[in-house]
Amino acid sequence: MLVLKRKTGEALKIGEDIEITVVKIGDNAVKLAIDAPQGVTILRTELIKEVISENKEASEGSIELLKDLKL
Amino acid sequence: MELKTKVHGILEYCEQDIITFDKGIPGFEEYKKFIIAPFKGNEVFKVLHSIDNEELGFILISPFEFMKEYEFELSASIIEQLKVENPEQVAVYNLITLNSDIKKITANLKAPIVVNVEKKLAHQVILSDERYLVKYPLIKEE
Repeated sequence: MLVLKRKTGEALKIGEDIEITVVKIGDNAVKLAIDAPQGVTILRTELIKEVISENKEASEGSIELLKDLKL
Repeated sequence: MELKTKVHGILEYCEQDIITFDKGIPGFEEYKKFIIAPFKGNEVFKVLHSIDNEELGFILISPFEFMKEYEFELSASIIEQLKVENPEQVAVYNLITLNSDIKKITANLKAPIVVNVEKKLAHQVILSDERYLVKYPLIKEE
């Protein structure tokens, strides 16, 4: 795990194709600009965690009620 | 062939029905091979079941059963990963989260299961569209 300090306007290059620039530093949040090729998926980590948690919940539970469900 | 499952009884399938999730399903990445079978008891639903783990199954629904306007773009990397050559090859499903209260049964519109039905490849795609919820209720309050 690499931990770096960057000031507003400074940037990081990841691999050959990804660059992250610190646009603005605020009290509670930092604004980042990400330059990456079209093929690279960029997602908020909490969204991925939410999907993982939902998948785990979806893998369990009683299917009985579904038999009566009409849309 | 027969797949013995914990919750769905015996599911019949052929070798060529097997769908591969190259990256697995988030939270269950070690399981890559699944089948999609009809859900006995309600033809609106299907079962997505692991062939390697008899306890790992999900309920699927086609989003067009309840939201005709559901749409999203497939990124170039997904198209490449699933070897999609034309739109007819693609089927989309959403995972259902069960609940003992029928009004709390939800579909995950945020992370659809995208399948190339010809090449038997699939992936759970996470959308950044804010309109689509992880917990979309299937039954609307009147």
